[in-house]
Amino acid sequence: MRARIALLAYLAAIVLATMVHEVGFLALGLGLVLALAGRDWLRILRRACVAILLFNVVVTLSYAVIAGLQGTFSIGFVVLVNLRVLLLTSLTFLFVSRVNPFEALAFSRSLTYLFTLAYSQSMAFKQALENFRLAFKSRRIEQVGLRDRYRHSARMGVHFLDKAVHQATEITQVMRSRGFFDA
Amino acid sequence: MLELEGVSYRYPESDPALKGISLRIEEGEKVVLLGSNGSGKTTLLRILNGLIFPQEGVYRYGSDPVTERRLKDRSWSRRFRKEVVLLFQHPEAMLFNPTVRDEIAYGLRQLGDEGDLDGTVRRWAVRLGVEAHLTRPPFQLSGGEKQKVCLAALLALEPRVLLLDEPTANLDPRSTGWLVDFLHELSVTSLATTHNLSLAGELGDRVLVLSEGHELIFDGRMEDLLGDEEKLLAANLVHRHGRAGERRFHVHDWS
Repeated sequence: MRARIALLAYLAAIVLATMVHEVGFLALGLGLVLALAGRDWLRILRRACVAILLFNVVVTLSYAVIAGLQGTFSIGFVVLVNLRVLLLTSLTFLFVSRVNPFEALAFSRSLTYLFTLAYSQSMAFKQALENFRLAFKSRRIEQVGLRDRYRHSARMGVHFLDKAVHQATEITQVMRSRGFFDA
Repeated sequence: MLELEGVSYRYPESDPALKGISLRIEEGEKVVLLGSNGSGKTTLLRILNGLIFPQEGVYRYGSDPVTERRLKDRSWSRRFRKEVVLLFQHPEAMLFNPTVRDEIAYGLRQLGDEGDLDGTVRRWAVRLGVEAHLTRPPFQLSGGEKQKVCLAALLALEPRVLLLDEPTANLDPRSTGWLVDFLHELSVTSLATTHNLSLAGELGDRVLVLSEGHELIFDGRMEDLLGDEEKLLAANLVHRHGRAGERRFHVHDWS
């Protein structure tokens, strides 16, 4: 029950954060999230920053180029967008560090199924990605060119696609075998 | 040749994977590293291959410490990557070239050693029994064949040290037998990991054992290890069970 309430609070906070357009309020929200994180505040903030870094840099630079060409660039907008993404990500990290998502989603079979699929896939992919990265590093005697990087990435992509299909089938069979889909 | 001194490693936000490991492997030795799942075998191999670096302790190759900084030295790194090679447990992670021929030639091309490239590739393909697949994409092969292609690609570099991560884990008994014989014929220094006690004596003359506490608890001959029941139990390499009130201690045959 507590997990479900936490889930509802999390979803409400997400909706609220997307509706607020004042930098001050978003900063206040971020402060509140970090305060709720307690001793973990620095770890959560650091993880959120790392997680959004690439995405936000690409979005911000794209916006800067286009808005700059159109003469509509606004630094306030850049701060607003980046702060909002940081708040949403920190909020999510705080939620998953405090609440067991399986317990929170237990009220819905479909959501539990989707979450199980997504969670299992992400764990397996994390390990496979690390294997591919290290194997490539291990075989790299000289600096490799774009062609090798492309081949490696393409092979990894195909492997992950095959793995995703195989694993989703397997997880579905496991859940069926355990009576998950029985009426 | 390879020396670890008080090496410890911990993955971010995890318990230690290795604690205070000290060992030395001399040229020509065939060593097998035993340990149960999660004892740190793969981590140790990754350190020895210079893919990750210990937070504590020193790893030396020859007399040189292997550090991130050292591997940025191009000529040293080139020599190290050619001389110390690692066969990953899942060979598909190592294969990305369009054909088996390109895969075996990959390392040699990087070295600029194209003298008799075709001859060298063919020679290793024949030795590993994959010559019929030279023009095929590696990802179309079976698991055992992929592993042979990976081995051919590594051995074509004529390395001094061959590290093998659970080389028999995905093989059927016939392929396992073949691999054991093949590794015996190689003159290269080797370190193979396994959690299979029955197979350990086949893969090396000297046995190292990692405990579930991630420490090196045995370094010696297989015969001595087999006589040490408590150590085998501590490393989770054998099990003890009661049947009809009787306490039994044994190793199951793997084939």
